[in-house]
Amino acid sequence: MPEKRYALVIDSRRCINCKACLVACRAEHGVPDRNSRNWINEESRGVWPKLLAVSEPEQCHHCSEPACVRVCPTGASRQRPDGIVVVQESDCIGCRYCVVACPYDARFLREDRGVVEKCDFCAARVDRGGIPACVETCPGKVRVWGDVNDRNGRLYQTIASRQYRVKKPEAGTGPNLYYLI
Amino acid sequence: MKTIEWGFLIVSYLFLGGLSAGLFFVSAIGAVLHGRIGPAATRVARLGAWLAPWPVMLGCFLLIFDLGKWYRFYKLFIHIRWLSPMSAGSWLLSVFVLISLSYSFAWLDAGQRRWFFSRLPRWLQPLRALDRDLSSWRRTLALTGLPVSVGVGIYTGVLLGAVQSRPFWNTNLVAQLFLVSALSTGCAALMLVLAWQRSEGEELRLLYFLDIALLTLELFIVLPYILHGRISVQAVRESLGLILGGPFTLSFWLLFVGLGLLAPLGIETYEVVSATSTAVSHPRRMAAGSAVLVLAGGFLLRYIFVYAGQMSTFR
Repeated sequence: MPEKRYALVIDSRRCINCKACLVACRAEHGVPDRNSRNWINEESRGVWPKLLAVSEPEQCHHCSEPACVRVCPTGASRQRPDGIVVVQESDCIGCRYCVVACPYDARFLREDRGVVEKCDFCAARVDRGGIPACVETCPGKVRVWGDVNDRNGRLYQTIASRQYRVKKPEAGTGPNLYYLI
Repeated sequence: MKTIEWGFLIVSYLFLGGLSAGLFFVSAIGAVLHGRIGPAATRVARLGAWLAPWPVMLGCFLLIFDLGKWYRFYKLFIHIRWLSPMSAGSWLLSVFVLISLSYSFAWLDAGQRRWFFSRLPRWLQPLRALDRDLSSWRRTLALTGLPVSVGVGIYTGVLLGAVQSRPFWNTNLVAQLFLVSALSTGCAALMLVLAWQRSEGEELRLLYFLDIALLTLELFIVLPYILHGRISVQAVRESLGLILGGPFTLSFWLLFVGLGLLAPLGIETYEVVSATSTAVSHPRRMAAGSAVLVLAGGFLLRYIFVYAGQMSTFR
C-alpha cells in the first residue's frame, strides 16, 4: 500500500463565490478577521455580452516538496507522512521565512500569537475520520478531497479522467491543489 | 505578494552582519599578511579587530526582536536543519561572534587589558580570570575566523537566494553580491575611522586598493545579474522590472550603482592614481566621503533586494 498523500481538486466552473468555505474555515479554526487560511481569486473580463467571471478558491497547496518546510530553521513547519503540511506551533519562533518562501502566499503570521499559521486540511478533523470543513460545507460540489494514491478513491479517479492544471508549477514545489480545466 | 514580512529590522541586520564580516575579513588579511605589507597592515588589522564584533551583535538583537516570539530565539540553537539557510546562519553567527570577540581581545595589549578589567564592577570581578595575553593567538584566530567571516558575509545572500518562489532573489549571483558588498563595507568603515583619526596615508592606500578591487567585482556581479536576468525566464524578466522601470529603478541606478558603486570607485581610483608619494592627497575628506557612499550603498543594496524580492513572484 503506497503512503497516503492527501490532495484537493477544485472545479472552478462550479464555484459561485458564496464564500461558505471561507466562513467554515474561519469558524473551524478561529482565524482573526485580518487573516485568512483560504481565499477566493476572482477574475472578470470581457465586454457584455461576451463576459467571463471566474471564482477560484485557493489555500495551502500542501506541496510534495514544500519550500516552507525546507527553509524552516526549527522544524516547526513540517510535513506529515500523509502529505499534510502543518505548523507545530510550539516550535515556531515567528521568523516568517516560510511566509516569504511560499510561492502561493498561503501563510501568515498570527500577530496575536506570534506564530505562523495556514490551512492544514483540518488535520484534527481528518484524524478523527472526517474531512476538511471547506470541503464538507461547499454547496456547489466544487471540491473533491482525498488520497491521491488511493486508486479506488474519488479524488484519484477525478484527476485520472479529467484535464487539470496546478498553479505556478515552475516554482518546483509540487503542489497538490488540482484545478480542473 | 500579500505582505512585506521582512522589513527594516531585517535589512539593518543584513547590513550590520555584512559589516562585521567585512571588518573581520580585512583585519584578518592584514594580520596574516603584515609581514609582507608592513606596519600599516598591522594598524588596519588592529582597528578592524576592535570594530568587528559590535555591528553583528547589534544586528543579532534586531533579529531577535523581529521574531514573532522573541523569547523563542533559543530554539534556533536546539535544532540544526542543514537545508535551512537560517538555521545554518544562526550557528555561523554564533561561532563568528565568539571568534571575533576573542580575536578582538587578542589585539589588546597588557595596558589596555589592565584598564578594561579595572573598570569592571565588583560583581564581575571573577572575570579577571580571563585576563590573559592572547596576542600569540592573533594569527590563528585570524585564520580560523576568515572562513567563518566569509560564511557570515555570504550566507545572508544564500538566505535570499534559496527562496525559489521569489524570482528576484533566486539567482546564484545574489550570494556573491552580498559577500563582496559586505567586504567592501568593512573596508569603508575602516577608511571612515582612519580618516576621523587623521592617520597617515599608507593605511588608506591599502584600503583603497582592496576596496577598488571589491567595488569592481561588485559591478561585475551586478552587470550579469541584470543582463542574464533580461534573457531569462519570464518570471525573472518580470521581477527585474522592479529595478528597470519599476518602483526601485531610481534608487537602484542613481543611488546604489551611481552613488554607492561608481562614485566611490571614481574617488578611490583618483586618489590612488594621483598620489605622488605613499601619502594620498586630501586624504581625510576624500576617504570619508567615499566611505560614507560605500556604506550607504551597502545598506541600500540590501534594502532594495529585501523589498523588491518580496514583491516578485511567479504569475
